[in-house]
Amino acid sequence: MNLFGSIGDRADRSQAARPAMTAATETDRALVDRVAKGDRAAVRLLFMRHHARVYRFVARQTGSEMMADDIANEVFLELWRQAPGFEGRSEVSTWLLGIARFKALSLLRKKKEDWIDDDDAAQVPDSADTPEVATMKEDKGAALRRFVDALPEEHRVVIDLAYYHGQSVTEIGEVLSIPVATVKTRMFYARKKLGEALKAAGYDRGWP
Amino acid sequence: MSAAEKMSRRDEMETLLPFYLNGSLEGAELEAIEEWLANDPAAMAALGEAEAEFSGTAAANEQIRPPADALSRFAKALDAEAGPARAPAGRSWLAQAFGRLTAMPAGVAWAAAAALLALVVVQSFDQPGGKGGDFEIAGAEDDLAKMPFALVKFKPEAKMADIATFLDQNGLKIAGGPAADGVFRIAIAAETEADYKKLLGLIAAQPFADAVIEGRKPASGG
Repeated sequence: MNLFGSIGDRADRSQAARPAMTAATETDRALVDRVAKGDRAAVRLLFMRHHARVYRFVARQTGSEMMADDIANEVFLELWRQAPGFEGRSEVSTWLLGIARFKALSLLRKKKEDWIDDDDAAQVPDSADTPEVATMKEDKGAALRRFVDALPEEHRVVIDLAYYHGQSVTEIGEVLSIPVATVKTRMFYARKKLGEALKAAGYDRGWP
Repeated sequence: MSAAEKMSRRDEMETLLPFYLNGSLEGAELEAIEEWLANDPAAMAALGEAEAEFSGTAAANEQIRPPADALSRFAKALDAEAGPARAPAGRSWLAQAFGRLTAMPAGVAWAAAAALLALVVVQSFDQPGGKGGDFEIAGAEDDLAKMPFALVKFKPEAKMADIATFLDQNGLKIAGGPAADGVFRIAIAAETEADYKKLLGLIAAQPFADAVIEGRKPASGG
């Protein structure tokens, strides 16, 4: 096996996502320009493009799909209201996630846990099984998903933003309003905790 | 390289792996991780572990399904939004102020409207017409003393955007108010009493209208 060839393939694969994202973002900016001029159809296009990710981001943060529904809608209404002031210093997706984060934290402060209704509670991982027992019932992938879900919020959110939302270190710093060094520290501890959890479940990955 | 330094480098590389995988890494950090992947036997296994995390996180996110009717509900909410001032460059400060006003909930906007209307009177000599992009404010050029009018009270929850659109579509103008009890004087450019009553009925039928009282009717009959 050609090690360099293999690395090159992986790098090509990983880097391939980025240019596509950049091209889409340019179109996003063009759409925001249209929104700034009062084009409601452009907002609807941006909604169709980004709503699912914004919705999931908020749902993961709040643990409530009801809250995610309200906040995701508000994010796009905010886009409509604030588009004339968008200066393009960040990607549109980063901007939207930043708005979503702010709104989610504000609402969480107001509503606290009593917002979680029965339907939402059904999505909270069942804690009846100990991690060891639960892990015996599932494969490594399922265990990993559960361990990611069980991370403290400040760690899980950097995992979500990097792996699912494709955000860079700098962009995560913008969304969370934290320094770049803090993003890296949180990523380090998040991955360390995942490694420890996997090891405890019998999946030693060699680090940490 | 000492064991501690090696561990530190491993930690650093493990921290950067997610960003390598999502393609956002560049410059010296990208070079460092590619060099590590090429030279450290443990690196490829680490990359595989990070890929598993990548897949697991994606799966955890994508099992959350947004409601199917989200777009239709959003479109409805958007239609109720006036949005910020979006007139061409050179739009007057007055028009911009009213543009912002229409974005507020009516209950909040009434006090601001009262203050702004007072300014309209003062500024009308310098800004004849006082015509905004969202709805028209009767200014000095309108002979208010002769225009028919009605007294209208809007519901507190009414949206300024809805009111503005309605006034604009029917050639109505806010001629004064709000009074202490929230009543506005709406100038009605009707030439006949029949037209006047028709417009009054139209205002009263709007969901945002709380009460409509006849004021001055057109001078001519009809």
